Amino acid sequence: MNLEDWYRQDRLPHIYCAGCGNGTVLNCTLRAVQELGFRQEETTFISGIGCSSRASGYTSSDSLHTTHGRALAFATGVKLVKPHQHVIVFTGDGDCSAIGGNHFIHACRRNIDLTVVCINNNIYGMTGGQGSPCTPYGAITTTTPYGMHEQPFDLCKLAEAAGANYVARWTSYHVKELTEAIRSGLEVPGLSFIEVMTQCPTSFGSKNKMRLATQMIDMFRENAVLKVKADRDTAAGKPLEPGKFIVGEFVRRHNPPLGVEESK
Amino acid sequence: MTEKTDFLNGNVACAEGAIAAGCRFFAGYPITPSTEIAERMAARLPKIGGTFVQMEDELASVAAIIGGSWAGARTMTATSGPGFSLMMENIGYAAMTETPIVIINVQRGGPSTGQPTKAAQGDMLQCRYGSHGDYSIIALSPSSVQEMFDLTVRAFNLADRFRTPVFLMADETIGHMREKVSLHSDVEIIPRRELKEGELPCAPDENGVPGFGTFGNGHNIHITGLTHSENGYPSTDSAEVHEQLIRRQVGKIEDFRNEIADVDIVNPDAEYIFISYGAPTRTVRQLMADVPETYGHLNLRIVWPFPDESLLAFKNAKAFIIPEMNLGQIAKEVRQYTNIPIVIVPKLGGALHTPAELKKAAEVAKTVTKPMTEVRL
Amino acid sequence: MKLVINDHRCKGCNMCTKVCPYGIFQEGARPGARGYIIPVLDHPERCTNCRLQKFYGRQLCGMCQTTCPDQAISWIDEQPFEPHKVVIEY
Repeated sequence: MNLEDWYRQDRLPHIYCAGCGNGTVLNCTLRAVQELGFRQEETTFISGIGCSSRASGYTSSDSLHTTHGRALAFATGVKLVKPHQHVIVFTGDGDCSAIGGNHFIHACRRNIDLTVVCINNNIYGMTGGQGSPCTPYGAITTTTPYGMHEQPFDLCKLAEAAGANYVARWTSYHVKELTEAIRSGLEVPGLSFIEVMTQCPTSFGSKNKMRLATQMIDMFRENAVLKVKADRDTAAGKPLEPGKFIVGEFVRRHNPPLGVEESK
Repeated sequence: MTEKTDFLNGNVACAEGAIAAGCRFFAGYPITPSTEIAERMAARLPKIGGTFVQMEDELASVAAIIGGSWAGARTMTATSGPGFSLMMENIGYAAMTETPIVIINVQRGGPSTGQPTKAAQGDMLQCRYGSHGDYSIIALSPSSVQEMFDLTVRAFNLADRFRTPVFLMADETIGHMREKVSLHSDVEIIPRRELKEGELPCAPDENGVPGFGTFGNGHNIHITGLTHSENGYPSTDSAEVHEQLIRRQVGKIEDFRNEIADVDIVNPDAEYIFISYGAPTRTVRQLMADVPETYGHLNLRIVWPFPDESLLAFKNAKAFIIPEMNLGQIAKEVRQYTNIPIVIVPKLGGALHTPAELKKAAEVAKTVTKPMTEVRL
Repeated sequence: MKLVINDHRCKGCNMCTKVCPYGIFQEGARPGARGYIIPVLDHPERCTNCRLQKFYGRQLCGMCQTTCPDQAISWIDEQPFEPHKVVIEY
């Protein structure tokens, strides 16, 4: 199957703003799916509510656009009834960690064979840029006009602690690595969690001196520290500089998964 | 026909009914007084190729059974009042996406945590109107353990025929009561209509119900809780699309309300008529046995959509007496369809009505002139 | 093969100008079909994939297409074949 066939061509162009990273993540996901040679009828995309979750509407296969935060619970149902189905969940930072936080940690704990692509744009984009549990400390949003005064979640650490089999973080700048990570996530049995830092120039960038998508991409390039380098620095006693974040593959393990056919 | 007679409580009979109806996926969360259903399903399903999963909360339980339903299984969950409140969000989603699911609500005293081990019928309006927006559902109300079995089977068939969430509104009395029950294994099964080749995923057939595009069958459909056009894609801007969609979804059930209806009419020529559903039906039947040929009785096995035409069977009716284990929720629905005076006999706290109390209400009914009178027991 | 930008899809975010290793995409000046400023192509014949996809039988590089959030970048077969003069810049 061609890459183009994985898009619902009749739905494009999509609703995302100019410069939004969600389209890039959609590209990487579909590329990974295409590279693995999945068939349309055995692939299901499930998403919750939010900008990120509109992605399932642009994938040409069975797709379920569900309620806010509950995508993982819906996916659990689909996967347990049809274990041979490849189930990919698109979710956002607010969707996954705020309203769906409980479903998220329990999906990780069950280690159900899903691939979760969490598009973390640091804010609630669809409602106009309110602070989310992943808004960096001090960032300006419409509900934190004096700067975010709460600490953000580290979703990868959360997923790791809760028991996911594969955990990785990349940004929408690292498209090759991201595609590879999603591919690995789809191959590893059990819950695979891939966090993607994406740009939201419209609602996040414009309030935080990064009006252009290209400025946000530059920020990712500068602030993303590869895991190998971060590990080396930590060993040398150098802590991570403020504002920087680690990208790379954090966990790959083979704990017993749920929702995998016996023969696998 | 293989038939097995057993002595079971209502919850277990319900689980057995679900298995007989072909339910192969159950997602639930423990809650008194419905937990026996989950326990029975957990024990039975893995042995017959089904899946049981205990979810993290009731929000997730409904979400999982909706997902399971789209993956092609007959799916069910069971809960009680507080859990039922949590389910409202995804019940609306199931209504909007026309997903066949069955939800068992073994009602207990509310609001909030209320009386976990006592019976009530306080969720009757919540099951009809609990989620936001206009939608319609089907709700059944069993009054015996045998009906817990039979109506559970019926619930699955109605869910698949009408593509809607179907509720079995039992109560703690029926759920925990043990009675003789015959468990048939070859029950009638009405399967859902699979989407045909070339048919649009949300285009209605002559009954107003679209074909069901099971995931994994190559339909490539998009299912969304947003307002969607007939091809299933979101179309939130158009007032016309929204109105057409909602009217069809409500109409596919409300237009068939008298076809769906399942009532018992006893003594239609009587002047004073009891209307009941669920546990109070048992008391009314006792009274009817004690003083035969005196009162009429309308027993509703299907409460929603309300079978309005069944009220017309009582030509000589002077008053409807409605005993309920709530403050008159269905009585208000009856009021909408009749000008005959209504006597409501609410009883809260978990105890059933006694025949003497109903007799007292029937005496009050002989004197009423107001449209609605409440008998305080 | 020929590199094209679909101006019905492009929203002018200029992400391609950041990621192309050859700097083929340059910020444009004139609005396209939907009013967005579409990037322009500077000597697109330098694109690796344009020249070598057919030769290797698989997609090469592809950074611009993968990154483009609006699925606006693609390669089309040239009909009829147009020979390009490749300028090697030192």
